[in-house]
Amino acid sequence: MRQLLFTGFNAFGQHEFVNSPHDERAASASAVCAGFSELNAHDGGNSNNKKNQCTISIAWRYTAYALDRKLRLRGLLETEPGDCVEVETPGEIKALAAGDSHCLVLLYTGELYKIQPKLEATLQAIRLESPPRPSTATKRTIFGAAKAPAPPIIEHIACGTNINVAISSENAVYSIPSCLHQFPDRQWRVQQLECGHEHALLLNGNGDVYTWGNGLRGQLGQVALGVEEMPQLIEALAGIKITGIAAGGWHSAAISAFGDLYTWGLNCSGQLGMRVMKPGGFLKEPTVYPLPQLHDLPECCRSSKENESGDDEGVCEPLRVFAGSRHTLLLRRCGRLWASGWCIHGQLGKQLCEQNFLDAFQALDGVGVDLDFVNGLCGPWATLLMVTAKQKKSVSSADAIS
Amino acid sequence: MEASLLELFPRFVDLKDLLQNEVEARYILKKATDFLERIKSKGTADEDEEIRYLVCALVDRNWERIHTGHFSNVPLTIRKIYAIACFFKIFFLLMESSNSRQKEQCSGILDEAQLLGCTDDWSDLKAALMDYLDKGQEEPTEPLPILPAVLRVLSPCDIPQLDAPGLNEFKTKCFQPQQPTLLLNTIKHWPAVDKWRDLNYLLNVAGNRTVPIEIGSNYASDEWSQQLVKISDFLRRQFVVDQCGDGRREIEYLAQHELFAQIPALKADICVPDYCTVSGAEVTAAAVDIKAWLGPAGTISPMHYDPKHNLLCQVFGSKKIILAAPKDTDNLYPHESEFLGNTSQINAAELDFKTYPLLERVRFYKLLLQPGDCLYMPPKWWHYVRAETPSFSVSFWW
Repeated sequence: MRQLLFTGFNAFGQHEFVNSPHDERAASASAVCAGFSELNAHDGGNSNNKKNQCTISIAWRYTAYALDRKLRLRGLLETEPGDCVEVETPGEIKALAAGDSHCLVLLYTGELYKIQPKLEATLQAIRLESPPRPSTATKRTIFGAAKAPAPPIIEHIACGTNINVAISSENAVYSIPSCLHQFPDRQWRVQQLECGHEHALLLNGNGDVYTWGNGLRGQLGQVALGVEEMPQLIEALAGIKITGIAAGGWHSAAISAFGDLYTWGLNCSGQLGMRVMKPGGFLKEPTVYPLPQLHDLPECCRSSKENESGDDEGVCEPLRVFAGSRHTLLLRRCGRLWASGWCIHGQLGKQLCEQNFLDAFQALDGVGVDLDFVNGLCGPWATLLMVTAKQKKSVSSADAIS
Repeated sequence: MEASLLELFPRFVDLKDLLQNEVEARYILKKATDFLERIKSKGTADEDEEIRYLVCALVDRNWERIHTGHFSNVPLTIRKIYAIACFFKIFFLLMESSNSRQKEQCSGILDEAQLLGCTDDWSDLKAALMDYLDKGQEEPTEPLPILPAVLRVLSPCDIPQLDAPGLNEFKTKCFQPQQPTLLLNTIKHWPAVDKWRDLNYLLNVAGNRTVPIEIGSNYASDEWSQQLVKISDFLRRQFVVDQCGDGRREIEYLAQHELFAQIPALKADICVPDYCTVSGAEVTAAAVDIKAWLGPAGTISPMHYDPKHNLLCQVFGSKKIILAAPKDTDNLYPHESEFLGNTSQINAAELDFKTYPLLERVRFYKLLLQPGDCLYMPPKWWHYVRAETPSFSVSFWW
């Protein structure tokens, strides 16, 4: 059975816990939920049927939950924390992207809606501008008149503070609602789309990463700091097959098929896994790393007696990467979670809540020892893990649901 | 905290308009202001733990909003909320304790409120808090050095020199013909010239303030970075000769900072030279940007130009300056990037004619800027500046 484990910022009752907790950590500071606690997912407890699992997206002051055609927004909507608004969508919900001023809602039909986080919220359809059609491909009716283009079928959405992105099945990139770019070739499909506060990251089936948006803090992975209107290939990663990406607030991360981790962008709180302060002084290391930094991750050793399950490879490469506003989370092959970055709001769990930040990747011990990781997601100041009771084998990339 | 200080904090009615469209700030600051009212009327209040946390979260949240997008585009509302949240965070920290470590932490928060936030509507509260936090904070540590008053040295100067010219002379000989000129003995009457050499004076007046510091000898290099640092830490690191140091300490430079808006006591030690009232139009009192430049020997501003008239006044120490005329811009290899477009790629102190052959055509002008003197530079004149000794300059742009 799937469980949701949450840690981080919960000052506005965004998250409802299974055992409305009376244990001491909840009583002492209900606003921060430091330490992973089980959330009530409202998905009827149905185990492996993906359709019966709720989809979640976490914004700063509210969280959006979707199950089938039901959409719920919970948190500080107007005046009181813990407020909740529920709406029914015209079709089943495929994906959510919760931002500060609105939440994007994508249906399995490819239609896109948005909703504001307030009590009298209603669903509004988003009409996207059609992409410029190449003249040769203009479709005409038998009478020669140009056919009205069919509305695009959206497959991926993501949003940040200053950025709202959608990508269609034909690889048109929208800065909602206008069409920003049409990728010419359709040999590849978009694998993953992620947004930071003001930048976007796209991973395609060839393993190439494109970025655009605001790169003043190095988040685009390009040599020069600046704003890029159009998707640009990250040259520094060209030729390396990337298998997973993540966008934090002002940083980005990628993992490769070779098991390497790269991070770039702002490192103000150690979110890149790079040292923040110089030894012994008050002085900081550079806070911006514009080019992807390859990490030499510490060995992820498990004691040999635990290692009887057959994963005998010495290397324990990163399989998945997730990022919040100023933290980065890593899942390694053995199933252990590693993390770096800001943790003052409990976003990296209980173990670290005495510190302000972690500036090197460290294993989060005790998380998921008897659980299998299914998926993860980060809110701006929060981390959410979807896990199931442990089966015999440890996770592999094939189990991961994206 | 004294009652008079509490009276200066905003009440919720004062904030209502500001918070109209700010859901989270309205919720959190309502709780915080209510709590403060309870303290004011009853003297105590309980259940502060959650409000205190929410206020800290509001500071962090608006710090993130301020750092999103270009600073110049951040709405004033966000910067005001940040400042108010900082005030309340300080309030809660001082409720907990007012020992000197706590006060020092509060000072840092107050400086960030001023540098990142907008404190204009609450300047009385800001000043009163600053006073309160500075009280009793003088640490009994070893004194800083008093830099020796240096006598003028004779030094070649490739541009005209005038000894304390009058306004008219300045206008006709420098301003109108756009002629860079070394103006000797023009600021000798500034109290700063005698006072600031005693670094303990700066420490007393400004030690607790946080300022942006450039680290690395030159802003166009890759190792360069900028960060917020307490003036006392900066002074100790850069001006105390450390006995056991390995000599590999990085150079830090308090450069291009509007220090005098932040620390009015230092403003009283200088005055805006009359020359800055001369303008193309007959008599207009154009706004003057005043910036401070304080650092050890070896700080470098690479060859660059600024868009305004510039009067660089030397309070203590000396600076070697190399100038080039605007007409040589195309021969000076400006950087191509957007940010460094006004900066040349060359090292003016060591010309590399192989890499940059066009430099052969450039006429460079060299001079030494000494205490009590100012250098007038017309707009767009290229300049390279290197501190030969520990140095404090004040620049006026108009």
